[in-house]
Amino acid sequence: MVEPGTASGAPSGSATSNAGPTVGSTEGSILTTNQWRDDPPAVEVVGITKRYGQVSACDSVDLVFHRGQIHGVLGENGAGKSTLMKILIGLVVPDAGQVIIDGKPSVITDPIDAAEKGIGMVHQHFSVVNALTVWENVALGDQMRLNPEAIRDEIGDLSRHYGLDIEPNAVVGTLTAGLRQRVEIIKCLRRSPRTVILDEPTSVLSPGESEILFEGLRRAVEDEGMAIALVSHKLDEILGATDLVTIMRRGKVVAHQKTSDSDAAGLARAMVGRPVALRSEREVPSSETDSPKRRPTKPKQEHASLEIDSVHANGDDGRVLLDGLDLKVYRGEIVGLAGVEGNGQRPLADLLSSLMSLASGSVRVDGKPIACGRAGAMAKAGISVIPEDRHDSGCVLEMSVAENLFLADPNLVARRGILDHRKMTYRAERLIERFAISCEGPDAPMWSLSGGNQQRVVLAREMAHHPRVLVAAQPTRGLDVGAIEYMSEQLRQAAAAGVAVLLISTELDEILDLASRLVVLSKGRIVGEMSREAVDIERLGLMMGGAVP
Amino acid sequence: MTDVLGSDPIDGAAKEVAAARGRHLVLGEIVTLYALSVLVALFLSGLLVSLTGGSARDVFSALLDGSILRPGRWGLTLGSAAPMLLVALGTIINSKAGLVNIGQEGQLLIGAAFAAFVGTRLGGETTGSVAGFAVLLTLLLAGGLGGALWAAIAGALRFWRGVPEVLSTLLMVTIAANAVGYGLKKDWLLLAPAEGRSNRNQVSEQLADAVRVKRITVFGNEFPLTVLLAIALAVVVTFALSRTVPGFRLRMLGQNAKTAQRAGVDSTRYGMAAMALSGAFAGLAGGIMLAGGDFGNYQLVPGFSVSIGWTGLLVALVAREKASAAVLVAFLFAALRTGSGFLAATGVERKITGVVQALLVLALLIPPAVLYIRQRRRALNASKERI
Ligand SMILES: Nc1ncnc2c1ncn2[C@@H]1O[C@H](COP(=O)(O)OP(=O)(O)OP(=O)(O)O)[C@@H](O)[C@H]1O
Ligand SMILES: [Mg+2]
Repeated sequence: MVEPGTASGAPSGSATSNAGPTVGSTEGSILTTNQWRDDPPAVEVVGITKRYGQVSACDSVDLVFHRGQIHGVLGENGAGKSTLMKILIGLVVPDAGQVIIDGKPSVITDPIDAAEKGIGMVHQHFSVVNALTVWENVALGDQMRLNPEAIRDEIGDLSRHYGLDIEPNAVVGTLTAGLRQRVEIIKCLRRSPRTVILDEPTSVLSPGESEILFEGLRRAVEDEGMAIALVSHKLDEILGATDLVTIMRRGKVVAHQKTSDSDAAGLARAMVGRPVALRSEREVPSSETDSPKRRPTKPKQEHASLEIDSVHANGDDGRVLLDGLDLKVYRGEIVGLAGVEGNGQRPLADLLSSLMSLASGSVRVDGKPIACGRAGAMAKAGISVIPEDRHDSGCVLEMSVAENLFLADPNLVARRGILDHRKMTYRAERLIERFAISCEGPDAPMWSLSGGNQQRVVLAREMAHHPRVLVAAQPTRGLDVGAIEYMSEQLRQAAAAGVAVLLISTELDEILDLASRLVVLSKGRIVGEMSREAVDIERLGLMMGGAVP
Repeated sequence: MTDVLGSDPIDGAAKEVAAARGRHLVLGEIVTLYALSVLVALFLSGLLVSLTGGSARDVFSALLDGSILRPGRWGLTLGSAAPMLLVALGTIINSKAGLVNIGQEGQLLIGAAFAAFVGTRLGGETTGSVAGFAVLLTLLLAGGLGGALWAAIAGALRFWRGVPEVLSTLLMVTIAANAVGYGLKKDWLLLAPAEGRSNRNQVSEQLADAVRVKRITVFGNEFPLTVLLAIALAVVVTFALSRTVPGFRLRMLGQNAKTAQRAGVDSTRYGMAAMALSGAFAGLAGGIMLAGGDFGNYQLVPGFSVSIGWTGLLVALVAREKASAAVLVAFLFAALRTGSGFLAATGVERKITGVVQALLVLALLIPPAVLYIRQRRRALNASKERI
């Protein structure tokens, strides 16, 4: 276990470790001798193959994870990254190939076995229990008698060491996605794994949070000889945090290089197999450098499609979620809702998903008031929502892809109340093609899709059925660079076609790229507004922090 | 979580196996596994019989004789299977909606009581076959209505008061038994008039001949026409759940309530409907038991439901929410029931069939899990060999 405070015997012998006082580490012996440097690779996979029906999720993959290195794994949605990682954690048994751990060929039978062999993983989708508290979640799977005090202390130590601040007594269900992710990470790190697999750990973290996480991980890598496999779609993160990067496409390793020899455009090209217009490249948040073509044209604010009027809402526990929120979204514009996570983004999206009723206030679409909280009322009025957590309210994992594409309006593919399977399949196939969803076909169960492809199904459904208002909450979560490009284009086209688009995002880049108008959300209300041309990043930051200038 | 294992790892595994090893091989494995585990269950039952001093051989041949082999017996078995199947169909409906109704025994009894009340009041003097048929239909509908209302109480408690339906449905079984017991004491409710019944008997009046379900005879086996009704309803339920818009929405509700709410599925409305429908099927089962003739003498008596509700629940469990499988399982369990009638001659307790039934339930639930474990182990062993 990590024990901060025992680190006083500083990393004297380690040439590469960061200068300055190290916060903590495992046993001093490892620290001082750094014996791990001569160890065999932490994990090596040789010729790993895993097929699902016709799909080769992994196709003779060779990969080496070394101690003391962060190894980035990149790839399109459905490239086989998660499958490979699940093989390493013992959830999926490969059809062929070998896993070599610390130089010994091994068979990993299940996640517990993997933990004993020193491998831990943070999954792409949450596996926390919402009804339990943070410490209870962390202790899940413990065999002995629980000692809550000790576990809470441990959590405290870990969170200090890795910079993952968290309240051990909070109920997980009330936490923001970013904090829930922390619980997952702490749960994994608590078993003091020597190899850590992170499957898109930062898709729900803010850039600041990610930075803190990577600092902590870097320390663990350099001081303790941890090996880290990092799956991510964020190129700048891969470039900034990793030592090596491997790129997968259609189950195969297509490139393998030092991060220092890579650049974003090159990685993107290798990943998708064609050049991609990267947001980070074209995005410079100042008006002069904006190419006129890219800059969203300012639409005339004539017709308010969505009007939210001094909306108040409280949670079950009486917490104020929305506190007099006022917002108008006009036809044909993209409004970016900026703000620090946990300031009302989720309640707002819930409200527009008919999942929440109001204490006071009103929501109107095209001037007509909507019954808040009544099942399907928002959808019926023409509000489409891409929710931030696709598994929570975005899709039904047990149903087929085709069924998921017609959840809200099955009548589109039914005649007199009876589903027309042929029609459903036909229309689903066209959406699958249009949104490049990689799956075995319309009848494939939703759970068999990769995370990014599940997100594409949600996108396809919400965008395909001609909404009046489109609410996109963290819509790029889990999408690869190609898909992000596609989705951005789709949002722009939707706006151009007269849809009122509300983009809720914790990523400022995304908002600056797409929105024609920005509003800032803080503590459940809109605290400021600025047009895209007049963006003042500093003022924006202040507003997001709650200091209204 | 689900991303990790898939929603149903077992089905998923079966598909994987199928993909990897060819369909017929897998089918063979599944059939073998089921056959083996049923054999083990039968062997254990036999062992138990022998240990308690009976002859396993006699018992099994008695069970077979009593359920299908002897003249007229499989007709009887069909007659008992019908209400079990109906109960199971109702259970499938509420399970698909994500609700747990385990009070079918009570809903069935209330249904039977409603049916008895309506059937005796309306049909007392009926002789004409058209009028009789009209009364029969009314009494079956009343049975469904009674069951639906009884289950709807639990539903209302669930959706407006937050009382878990598992508890309320279960507790209401006892209440149902007492309520019907009370009705059988009052002649303005269910109790038959004093003439023509021995004084202390608490029984309802018999249904008039004209309002009974017509029984047909096939190859010397007699069974009520309601058997066909039950099978037809199995087809209807399968179709409705998988192919209609309301069925689609019901499944959506059961699998992801939030997504359903967003898509316009009102959990209260659909949940209440599912509960009521489920109760209606149990109540209808009570109605056909009363008017069908395989259970007693066309009259309601205390304890009329004779555990058909519980057995139907088991049928749904073993059939893994598949109506087509429920048809077969219902027949199997009904066979145990009718077969047990022949056990007296062997000197073995009738109750042994309860044990056999329990072992069979286990035997039928285990193979899918075993299949999953076997396929995983095979893959792991293959990995080990590669080292
Ligand atoms: N249990 C399964 N059954 C059938 N197909 C599966 C299963 N699991 C994964 N697949 C398929 O294998 C392929 C690889 O999936 P995987 O989850 O590894 O992708 P990924 O690289 O993690 O993508 P993403 O970036 O979208 O998370 C996909 O085409 C997916 O549909
Ligand atoms: Mg993945």
